[in-house]
Amino acid sequence: MTRPLLKISDVSVEFGPKANAIRVVDSVSFSIGAGEAVGLVGESGSGKSITSLSILRLIPDPPGRIVSGSIEFEGQDLLKLPANRMPEIRGRDIAMIFQEPMSSLNPVMTIGDQIAEALMLHQDLDRDARWQRVIEVLSLVGMPDPAARLGAFPHEFSGGMRQRVMIAMAVACNPKLLIADEPTTALDVTIQAQVLELMKSIRASVNTAILLISHDLGVIADLCERVVVMYSGRIVEEGSVESIFSKPEHPYTRGLLQSIPRLDDDRKRLYQIAGTVPMAGSVKKGCPFYARCDLRVDKCAAEMPPMFEFSKQHKAACWVTGEAEQ
Amino acid sequence: MGRMIGLRLIDAIPTILLVLTLVFVALRILPGDPAQVALGDMATPAQLELFREQMGLNLPLWQQYFIFLWDMLTLNLGRSLVSNVPVASIIAANLPYTIELTLVATGMGVIIGVPLGVLAATNRNKLPDSGVRVFSLIGYAIPDFYLGALMLIVFSLNLGWFPINGGGTDFLSRLHHVFLPALTLAMVKSAFLGRLTRTSLLEVLGKDYVRTARAKGARENRVIYRHGLRNALLPVTTGLGLSLLATLSGSVAIELVFNRPGLGETLIGAIAERDYPVIQAGAVIFAFFVVFINLLIDIAYIAIDPRIRVQS
Amino acid sequence: MTSLDQPVEAVRPTRTLLENVTATFIGRPSMIFAAVVILTFIAIALFAPLLAPYDPLAQSYLVINAYPSAEHWLGTDQFGRDVLSRLIYGSRNSMIFGITAPIIAALVGTTLGVVAGYFGGIFDRLVTRMIDLLLAFPDLLLAIIISAALGGGFWNILAVLSIAFVPGFARVARASTLAVKQEPYVEASVAVGLRTPLIILRHVVPNIAAPVVVLMTLWVASAIRLEAALSFLGLGTRPPYPSWGNIIRDGLNNIFGSPWPIIGAGFAITLVVLSFNMIGDAVRDLLDPEIGQ
Repeated sequence: MTRPLLKISDVSVEFGPKANAIRVVDSVSFSIGAGEAVGLVGESGSGKSITSLSILRLIPDPPGRIVSGSIEFEGQDLLKLPANRMPEIRGRDIAMIFQEPMSSLNPVMTIGDQIAEALMLHQDLDRDARWQRVIEVLSLVGMPDPAARLGAFPHEFSGGMRQRVMIAMAVACNPKLLIADEPTTALDVTIQAQVLELMKSIRASVNTAILLISHDLGVIADLCERVVVMYSGRIVEEGSVESIFSKPEHPYTRGLLQSIPRLDDDRKRLYQIAGTVPMAGSVKKGCPFYARCDLRVDKCAAEMPPMFEFSKQHKAACWVTGEAEQ
Repeated sequence: MGRMIGLRLIDAIPTILLVLTLVFVALRILPGDPAQVALGDMATPAQLELFREQMGLNLPLWQQYFIFLWDMLTLNLGRSLVSNVPVASIIAANLPYTIELTLVATGMGVIIGVPLGVLAATNRNKLPDSGVRVFSLIGYAIPDFYLGALMLIVFSLNLGWFPINGGGTDFLSRLHHVFLPALTLAMVKSAFLGRLTRTSLLEVLGKDYVRTARAKGARENRVIYRHGLRNALLPVTTGLGLSLLATLSGSVAIELVFNRPGLGETLIGAIAERDYPVIQAGAVIFAFFVVFINLLIDIAYIAIDPRIRVQS
Repeated sequence: MTSLDQPVEAVRPTRTLLENVTATFIGRPSMIFAAVVILTFIAIALFAPLLAPYDPLAQSYLVINAYPSAEHWLGTDQFGRDVLSRLIYGSRNSMIFGITAPIIAALVGTTLGVVAGYFGGIFDRLVTRMIDLLLAFPDLLLAIIISAALGGGFWNILAVLSIAFVPGFARVARASTLAVKQEPYVEASVAVGLRTPLIILRHVVPNIAAPVVVLMTLWVASAIRLEAALSFLGLGTRPPYPSWGNIIRDGLNNIFGSPWPIIGAGFAITLVVLSFNMIGDAVRDLLDPEIGQ
């Protein structure tokens, strides 16, 4: 395999005062190849959003900070880059779409200006060419009559339309990596499907790599080739969509998959994983899933399992399944 | 947008009536006899009676009320008891000085206060922030007339940079005369505006759309000024209206300190000389200004925030 | 970003009210400073006759416009009166008006607000409209208009200052009453036939106590400033009786003679108002962080 587009190694993020810091992301490593779509899945509080924000170094500081690791983009460690160089990367090489389309657009700027701003910051276009490009990306994201809507303000659009505007803004500069943090969560179910279709068609036409953050395995299966599963700030399983969906190796992933409702299902109640997610950073020793796990053995409480390799494309951090494999 | 402003204007009419009623109540119904106030403790009963007759204070209260309303709305303000000059011309001669002072002071207050707030917000919990906090603590505490007196002593009396009284004649000398009084009011108001800007900007900088701006590669200055400040100025606009009001009321004392002509100086002088018609007119004009400024705040809000423009 | 809130929330330890009081007032240098200033000035006001070196009204044409010296620490004014003694006696005005006016205004305003909020109807609409109108006026302008009608003197000043603060209390009390009225336990009290005065006393009053106390402490400083401004304008304490405001006015009339009366009186006002502001802010943070502005 050639050098990946993005390589995250051993990244940890802490929040709160130094003396009493809470480790929200703990030694996370994974990579994304050029043009590849990777899904990052986990419950809320699992650290997946923080992981995605850390790539662009957008974690609010204080209270949060990246304490270790490296994030290599095209071979260059973004964490070692001086802070004033980051704006060159943001929006041009790596763009981001956020969960809340209602609040993620500036209420006092027209959508045309907001998209044009991204172009103005990164591309040397004259005024006319810039507006031409704005109209182009707006029609790319399916905005009806884009030229007429340039002067409209965000509040004049529905949530789904605003998310389309966000996507247009993100892809305006043809980024190499598009990070989408729960892009459909805040939307109605029918709109979710539309936005998801849009993401797929964007991917086909712009040829960008995608990191899709979601708590919804269905959404990820629809768009991605590879899945990374996070639990309580750690990566617990990683592999291709096929291998993880057909043969999940971590008990947590198994639980997640079982809790998806199916049409051919005649169970009275949906499956749910017993217990609640431990607060990130609260499990100091052993496997963070220990308390809720069906397979746990004594060793799990004492020692954090390493990533066991099940196949070339499939790794999971579980003592029980991992040692059985070897 | 024009329709909304029209609606606000119509809405102001009952408020103006209510304000006139308030002044009427204050001056005629509250204990305290206008005739006694005007003529002083030494007046004989006959003199008091004559005065009441002249001023129409003998009529039933409801008649007085309507006459008062009509007079004020038609600007029939009567004549000064002291100088026999029409009150309207006294007001007309003094009003420009007060408007000038209030506007210049508010402008200077914004020029000083908003950058202070930005400085504090962008250096949160660092030295500039503490400096601005101390400045605003003192600004909240120091009476404007005291600060004015200190300025007068230092810059006019000792250094001789500015005149010690009057309002000036031509443009340049008016500017020269208004500078120190306006700076005094501006310093006090900038404490308020600075604190307001800081709070508002800090809140805005935590919003999702600011994160969006950073994510698309905007540099910190652009994030703060283009995305942050414009949104942060919404509450500051209300604050601006409030400080326009406070500056107007502060101008009363400041005109006295700097021996400047103006509405406040006229009103206070009239109260001291018991010049009843001037007191009445002065109170009404001030009250009108209060209503007018509140109206301006509403209109400014409509103009700045596109969201309000569309509602209704 | 719920994922962000969770851990940060957990760091913050929960504290009891007593611990909050301790943390707010004890061990913070600014609070100690404010408390010392206020207690000192209250003592000065109480013991003015013992502390003042001279009679504040005694004129002496032998020492006019004297600069500070061993005999007259802050010098004398244009009538040869001792400035320090006038400042000491002047503190009585500030303290009395500053503390009593907010209390009177709180009693009147809260009653108005509670009655309007609890019973509603025409009375409520009338009160609300008046509150909105009066609150549109800066307190100084309102006070000037009212004192133009009433004239100066102790009781009139007290009335003017109190009236200026009534609308603010009425608005807060009304809003809190409306909120409390919606509570299920109040509706339940009505349902079981508890008498109205008892409901107000037992449920409404305790719930609005916090915001009213906060406003009272915040407005002590405002009342002191307002009294000083009125006296400066010649609408408050009448000469020759000293008040910090009219000492500055006298000083301005004698600005070529001596700056010391102005400097001294203004410094005293600033210091006291600053201290009361600091205490007021702390009380607000402690009891009711939401009603700040």
